[in-house]
Amino acid sequence: MKNDPHTTELYSDVAQLPLRPASKVMQLERLGSFHQSRLSFMRTLVRHMVTENWLISRVLFELDTEGYGTVIYEINAKYGTYSFVVFSHYLDPENRNDRVISNQWDLTMALCEGSVSEEQLEFLKVNVPKQEAGRVNSRVLVLSRANRSARTFNYVVNSLAHGHQPDTDIIAEVGYLYRTTAAYGSGKLGMADWEKVWTKHRDFARPFAAEMFTCYMLRHFSIQQAEYLALQASPQTGVPLNSDLKRYIGIGNSTGLGMAPFLINHPLLINQWIEMRETALATVVAFNAAGVDESTLKRLAESTGRVVQHLGEIVTADERQHKANAAVRKELDLLHLWLQEQGPKLANNHYVWSSLIQYAEQHWLVETQEVINTLLIELYPELVDGFEEQMWVEEIYEVTPEMMVVDLIALIEEKYDWALAIDFSLQESRGAFWYRSEEKMEPRLGKTHIDMGMEKAMPLGIGYRVRLCYDQLVGYNQSCPKQNVAHFIVKNPTFSGIVARVQTMALTYYGDIRENLIHQDVLPIHLLRCKLSFFGVSKFDPRSRLWVRNTMFQGAPLISDFDQPFKDEWQFPIKPVLHID
Amino acid sequence: MIAMKVSKNELTASLRKAFESLGFQPGDYYDAADMVVWLGTHGFDGFDRLLSVLNYLNTTSPSHADLIEEKEGNFVLDGNETSILLCGSEAVDLARSYAIQGSSARVEVINCYNRTFILQRLIKAAQRDLAFLAYWRQQDYCIKVTVSPRAKLPVYQTFMLNEQFDPQMLRIFSGTNVAQLEAEYAEHLQMGAMIDDYPMEMMKACYIDSLDQGIEIDVTLWNTLDDLVSRVLVQSTEESRAGAGD
Repeated sequence: MKNDPHTTELYSDVAQLPLRPASKVMQLERLGSFHQSRLSFMRTLVRHMVTENWLISRVLFELDTEGYGTVIYEINAKYGTYSFVVFSHYLDPENRNDRVISNQWDLTMALCEGSVSEEQLEFLKVNVPKQEAGRVNSRVLVLSRANRSARTFNYVVNSLAHGHQPDTDIIAEVGYLYRTTAAYGSGKLGMADWEKVWTKHRDFARPFAAEMFTCYMLRHFSIQQAEYLALQASPQTGVPLNSDLKRYIGIGNSTGLGMAPFLINHPLLINQWIEMRETALATVVAFNAAGVDESTLKRLAESTGRVVQHLGEIVTADERQHKANAAVRKELDLLHLWLQEQGPKLANNHYVWSSLIQYAEQHWLVETQEVINTLLIELYPELVDGFEEQMWVEEIYEVTPEMMVVDLIALIEEKYDWALAIDFSLQESRGAFWYRSEEKMEPRLGKTHIDMGMEKAMPLGIGYRVRLCYDQLVGYNQSCPKQNVAHFIVKNPTFSGIVARVQTMALTYYGDIRENLIHQDVLPIHLLRCKLSFFGVSKFDPRSRLWVRNTMFQGAPLISDFDQPFKDEWQFPIKPVLHID
Repeated sequence: MIAMKVSKNELTASLRKAFESLGFQPGDYYDAADMVVWLGTHGFDGFDRLLSVLNYLNTTSPSHADLIEEKEGNFVLDGNETSILLCGSEAVDLARSYAIQGSSARVEVINCYNRTFILQRLIKAAQRDLAFLAYWRQQDYCIKVTVSPRAKLPVYQTFMLNEQFDPQMLRIFSGTNVAQLEAEYAEHLQMGAMIDDYPMEMMKACYIDSLDQGIEIDVTLWNTLDDLVSRVLVQSTEESRAGAGD
């Protein structure tokens, strides 16, 4: 692997960092309790944009009085120039749908390399609004689309047109003016390959950086469009949006099952993300092994109070999430009060973070534990921010053909004990299957022996595949002892894929996600949330066990803040108290 | 030919699904897609070769090679008339399972087709500090491929045939370095005059251009791949839409 998880250059005194074990971290429920951290891609992107003072200018703003038309922003980043092109279209409200299978949107967008010529603009005008039904070229880095929020967009425009600011409570309830339903990159539909982005466009040479930037620019456009429409509606009374409210406006996002297969099909990348997050946590814990000072304890108390307020402001119709938020708030409130009361005493007594982590693990919910871990990472930017450059790894699986079969059997028993512990003879253990629909290849979850398409199931049941391979290996080893893996594969070629995966993942610290993804009661929502936490979203609002709404960039600095002093502390956004601009 | 540009990522994804639709298993369709993409992005007419392979694979069930002979690092695999896309990984893995322990290995694959696709497997295997030599007959010529340990590109040369040999055979040699292999297997490597040497610079330039501008591919082939991909998709119904969150 690229990084030895046990050591870090950032804190070289620690030879062996106390990383949490895979058996704890790789449980799906825990992964589904992760929150945004300093290493999340939005956070990293914002740090770079602000500290490198990216210059973003509007080079074309051709909208009619209804807000429909074309807008181009040119971005001069540290290493290159890019263009963000927006097409705003009329959309019948009846056709406004967040599903992947939709084919009409309020906005369609493209992030392109360089400046956009008239010729290229014409090309984009034809293809970008079609999204999956169109083709773009390798000058395009990201393709995206978004729909207006029925609850906030017109409300905000009307408020501004009448000369007053929108109600903060209404903004808080939704959190955005537009909701993006997809942001495609990595070479889809003829776009630039990730390898090209990584090697040629250093500004976006981190996972999903270009996709996140597209969403950030969407947020910027959404505010500019609302202000423009307010002035169009009432030039005399129209006012701009208050800056604090602007910062509090994010971008909505709907994420469905499409993200789940990505996690299973990129286990090395997911391991890398988790390894870096856990290394950051372990570094923080090790750094304070002699005791935490009073001011840091005070900062934790403040940020804990902030999370309590943040969770209290989340509106969700999902009962499970609502209860979880309430329970986490209650536990964090206890922590907040305790830190406030005991802070000085704890500092004097050389209190260490490992004690807090241990207490939380013994007494509090998994979700509370993960909020605390995120907050601890947040306290030490100088220790953890450097890990942002190590969030990518190439997804290459390799068979180790010289390994003896008996050693591979032992490896599976050690690393995939969780898979061997599942009784796959039970009907419920294989009660679900994953498949791709003919509708835009949308991934869907079917019920075994009930729904159509089992014969076309995607091989996402890693645990089951490991079990089958293990049984085959054991049988082979009995009939042909002392053979190596190359011989096993020649005799059993259909197992080469899972053998490569097992042998490759065994070299990583965290390995595969430890969950039976074909169990009838599988909760894909945890997979979605895990990935979204690494993106950096907040305010999870599950709409079912299969898809979740959330908010991106809420609380993040505005473009107008880029040349201002910057404190990277916008996670867990809370309702602003408005100041007059 | 009407051409279009595709990205490496989407080509890889499309090929994986296309091979899956032809009955390839997960490991096989990953490897096969990588082999095709490597040729296609390094100027080897990979897509011309692919069209003929797809026609063949579309009419047969995927079959693998059988190990029919083994003795002290010498292996013979019978490809059973299949494509290297299906048995290339096994052949290279056998070679390196032996060579990685310090000894040289020779793998002979008989009755196999599309041997140029082996290049990507050799390059990948060489990253584990192993050297590879391979050769096969192509019509009246002999293609010889040399890959140094950790090399990212092969030496690809065409020779006159010195002697007639099995037109559907592929020989692979693996060891710690190229010079050692050349010396150890000299009797197998007697070839006629060299008539062509495909420069690495051209392979590299082709790859960079593919990444920067996209990969040029025949629209007919792309549509063929799309048709194959559609076979792994499941018909949509109102009930199935519920399986995605409705």
